[in-house]
Amino acid sequence: MLQHFHVPEEDAVRIMPDALRKTVNELFLKLGFSEQDAWQATDVLLLSDTRGVDTHGVSNMMRRYIDMVAKGFVNPRPNWKVTRETATTANVDCDQGLGIAVIPRVMELAIEKAKETGVGMITLGNGRHAGMIAYHAMMALPHDMIGYSITAGGQSMPPTFGAEPRLAPNPHAWAVPADKEPPFVLDISSSSVAANKIELLRRMNAPTIPGMMAAADGTPIMDEREVPEETIVLPNGATRELGSHKGYGLSAVAQILGGILSDGAFGPYEGGHMSHVVAAYSIEAFTDVNRFKKSMDDFLKYLRETPPAPGHDRVYYAGLPEHEESIDRHERGIPLHEEVVDWFDQATAEFGLPKLER
Amino acid sequence: MLEHFHVPEEDKVFVKEDDLRKTTSDVFAAIGMPREDADLAADGLVTADIRGCETHGVSNMLRNYVQMFRDGRINPTPNWKITHESAAVATIDADKSHGLVMCPKAMDIAIEKAKKVGIGAVTIHNSQHAGMMAYHAMRAMPHDMIGYAITGGGAVMVPTFGAEPRVGAVPHAWAVPADKMPPFVLDISSSSVAANKLGLLRRTGAPVLPGLVADEDGTPIMDERDVPEQTRLLPWGSTRELGSHKGYGMAVIGQVFSGILSAGLFGVTNPPGNGSQFVAAYSIDAFRDVQEFKSSMDEFLTYLVETPPAPGHDRVYYAGLPEHQETEKRQAEGVPLHREVVEWYDSITDELGLDSLVR
Repeated sequence: MLQHFHVPEEDAVRIMPDALRKTVNELFLKLGFSEQDAWQATDVLLLSDTRGVDTHGVSNMMRRYIDMVAKGFVNPRPNWKVTRETATTANVDCDQGLGIAVIPRVMELAIEKAKETGVGMITLGNGRHAGMIAYHAMMALPHDMIGYSITAGGQSMPPTFGAEPRLAPNPHAWAVPADKEPPFVLDISSSSVAANKIELLRRMNAPTIPGMMAAADGTPIMDEREVPEETIVLPNGATRELGSHKGYGLSAVAQILGGILSDGAFGPYEGGHMSHVVAAYSIEAFTDVNRFKKSMDDFLKYLRETPPAPGHDRVYYAGLPEHEESIDRHERGIPLHEEVVDWFDQATAEFGLPKLER
Repeated sequence: MLEHFHVPEEDKVFVKEDDLRKTTSDVFAAIGMPREDADLAADGLVTADIRGCETHGVSNMLRNYVQMFRDGRINPTPNWKITHESAAVATIDADKSHGLVMCPKAMDIAIEKAKKVGIGAVTIHNSQHAGMMAYHAMRAMPHDMIGYAITGGGAVMVPTFGAEPRVGAVPHAWAVPADKMPPFVLDISSSSVAANKLGLLRRTGAPVLPGLVADEDGTPIMDERDVPEQTRLLPWGSTRELGSHKGYGMAVIGQVFSGILSAGLFGVTNPPGNGSQFVAAYSIDAFRDVQEFKSSMDEFLTYLVETPPAPGHDRVYYAGLPEHQETEKRQAEGVPLHREVVEWYDSITDELGLDSLVR
């Protein structure tokens, strides 16, 4: 994540991962989640926060999940089921279960299929928020598989040349194991900026970045200014000349593979309805696993050893900064904004739970 | 494709689709390909031209291919083989096949697997340039499948923050059938601009646009100027702030599925002279009722094209729609080739003792 979006050090309260895990897990139990689902949902949020993906961690999401359960948009005890199945595929009705609880269990099924046939891919309809989708893709890593996940739904982003949002910044994520190098983990929204990064910008009083969002009529904002009240997220690429049709296209692919292929959903979703896809590709089915992992090491090393361009001190690959951040945050704790810690104190008081330890 | 890149009116020579197909196939056959393979390769090239993707059509590519056959870099009669296989998966050693021949054949294998088990995925190495990736993905559509195709290779694009090109502008293509609407066909390079669009720019004398390419040291060029002699391709997104890590990431994952998964190829070990690809087919019926899916696709695509346009634009498209319209136009009018390209055809048919291109 760009420095621009991090919590300023003076506003940061460092919380150790285990302490955060305990409180978040208790909150999910209070919402009526089963033990297994509460653990699972907590694990997804914690991985986001330890990897430095604050947008999808507890700060933005926990209060939203509580709200969604209160409004009846999320079913805390979903009875999700497979509605169609083949050797490599399945389609799942999530029964309005929260994605961070349901998707990992479905990914386990995709992994089982990939063990048998080489590939497993499952679409999920009637779902709810998926959290940081890299989590679901990363579940394939210990099985020597390449993981893939998508979530789609809602409309906050206009098509290229459009004046009205008709798609969401639907993200795609891939996770690929290496041998000694940290795994390659790419988790990219199809917009110039993840929708809830704009929320972070507002919280930090930071200005817009040219090309990140459009004015209310769909015209790209190409200068720095205060984040307007009404904005529309732009497809990544910002303008057609710079490839906004690619962001638009990736968003549409996600909507097709997620929504259209599962239950036909697109456009103005009701009640936070989301669709998802998970897939696992077994490396062993294609090639020797050790040979592959060594090749990955060589490739990733080759990439991070690229001489940097003027003004930069090093080159990364996707997953490397998150890996480094994860080591740091396990040691020093997760830097939560003061406002977030205050929110936790209110929420725990309301639910009669012990305070978040710091 | 942007208007910016099209052949100027005064340089256009219109050639009928079938005539272009015939002469192109004749050229491939004359340099040693079996007629069936020559037809397949010609179909891939001409389909690109018909769809208005002339970057990957006969103009830029055929002369390169001829040179590659002559240099022995493409094997006109390859003995390709499957080295790993499971119910849903295969790995192919292409024995220096032309990618325009190998990829459709690999896609047919993927489609057969998808018919049996729901999905088929094939990774390919030791092949050659594969033309317009959409062509291979589109092969899945008549089977009511979603097609996916990637070609890896090369080191022409700088990683985000990098000063040296270390990844290809690796394209990914998806093709999804609808019912009455033209299919959704997305074919996107992971760079800001396809490498051979720069060739078109030089030919038409048009300037580079801000954010399209980097200077030799990796610094993004953010103003308009003549195409420099030495450029570096930038990942899609141009700068980190605008998401260049997304283009860089798409290039890396594309390389993983093609080069790394098939044979550990990347960077200098996977130059354009040693291609790698990945093709996959996903059977719609394995997920959802096909007719329901196609009706949903029609609704979704209609919803997208009916988006009110932003100020300064007259309509909204979806990927594959402009290409579909261009196809109808070019099937009626012919393919507008640059006169320089027609002259090249005349010289090569003359040299190979073939009938000249009809126009």
